[in-house]
Amino acid sequence: MTGTEIALIGAALAVGLAGIGSAIGVGIVGQSAAGLVTEDPDKFGQTLLLQALPGTQGIYGLLAGFIIMQNIGIIGDELLELTVPQGYAFLMAAIPIAIVGLVSGIYQGRVSASAVGLVAKRPEELGKGIVYAVMVETYAVLALLATIMLLFGIPL
Amino acid sequence: MPIDDTIFAYAVGRTRALETRLLDRARFERMIDASSAEEALKVLGESAYANAVAELPDVHDFETILAAELKETFDLILKISPRPELISIMALRYDIHNLKVLFKAKYLGVKSDLLIPVGSLELDKMELAVNEDDYRDLPARLRKAAENISEDFLVNRDPQVIDLLLDQVLYDQLIFAARDSGIKLLEGMFVRQIDLTNLKSLIRVKRMGLDRELLKNILLPHGSIPTDRITGMLDEPLESLITMLTMSDYADLVSEGVRDWLEKGTASRLEKLSDDYITAYLKQGKWTPFGVEPLIGYLWAKEIEIKNIRLVLVGKINKLPAEAIRERIRDVYI
Repeated sequence: MTGTEIALIGAALAVGLAGIGSAIGVGIVGQSAAGLVTEDPDKFGQTLLLQALPGTQGIYGLLAGFIIMQNIGIIGDELLELTVPQGYAFLMAAIPIAIVGLVSGIYQGRVSASAVGLVAKRPEELGKGIVYAVMVETYAVLALLATIMLLFGIPL
Repeated sequence: MPIDDTIFAYAVGRTRALETRLLDRARFERMIDASSAEEALKVLGESAYANAVAELPDVHDFETILAAELKETFDLILKISPRPELISIMALRYDIHNLKVLFKAKYLGVKSDLLIPVGSLELDKMELAVNEDDYRDLPARLRKAAENISEDFLVNRDPQVIDLLLDQVLYDQLIFAARDSGIKLLEGMFVRQIDLTNLKSLIRVKRMGLDRELLKNILLPHGSIPTDRITGMLDEPLESLITMLTMSDYADLVSEGVRDWLEKGTASRLEKLSDDYITAYLKQGKWTPFGVEPLIGYLWAKEIEIKNIRLVLVGKINKLPAEAIRERIRDVYI
């Protein structure tokens, strides 16, 4: 495998795993919200907000993948010929957001789905439900930060 | 990663919305303070029961609303639960209830209670089976119990045997089904109900001065208090029973319930406290974000709500003083 190919695996993992995390998370909240809205259609707007929260991990993953693609020239004028160690560097830089995105997306979904239950009982406390869910977000942001710092530190 | 419990996400979301429509304590207080049964019914009509109440011709027929509500609740929860077999465990209790009613109607010639159209067995078939004394269509354990009852009744003519044998089959089945399901909350609930039933039996036998053999026969197995410990308590005075239970969860409710029982000669306080104890235990379903626990909690909450409505309306129809009704009202789940 060439260095470029290995770097592309990194990009694929960042987009793919973080995307899976978000898809599962958003899916859980969606089911929970559908249950609530069946009985109380007025809660659609509030639950939609909660459902969107676990969607960010997928965006972070895409961002990381995008930076990798740009750095190695997949997007742009000329494709760089990476050495194998350079390729591995890109792969490893993608790991934080790939893994943390996957796990935090699922857990943020669980917290948000619980917040759907909170909104069912106390719609005025939506803000608190969001704060709980956003706490999980912190770690996805930290992972994205690590990934970006690693990516920009790779000598080409 | 515990992903599996999220299959309940939809059902729990929906249950959360349903929970908000349960009647709260304030509603029951208003019903109790109403000037007549009709007024109490009107207060009920301002709640989720509005449609049912509007179609009710006479307050004396309120049982039809309650039966319909219970059936609707079970049907809905069965439908939305991704594992309906867990809900069927809760419905099993109504199969046994209906069998009891049918047997009593047959042997005693009285319709002691309404048949409740909740449960896995069809009422027509059960009625036919009991009337024709042919239990081949019943599930194996029920069939055995039914055959035992009809044999025993021919010899002994003792109607208590109906309740006794059917309760034993019921709790046997409930405990086994709950263990099979791996749902701790279900098993915990049934174990607690068995313990409380056994303690009540002990006190009843003691008050009536009956003997140990009889108590041994009526105690249910599978409780957390071993049955021989309970039979052992028979020779002690009631006060020491309370001391012996101090270490268990049941201390407060037994001591209060028994004191009231001895004073007033009825077990109604103990019955209420027992229900409240189970409600408090099942309330964990309110904080469980995923899983079957919220559904079970909701079913129980609905059963308690229906029991409360019945208590209030029966009390109002019979013109009981508000205080007498109030002290029997069960704690609500919400």
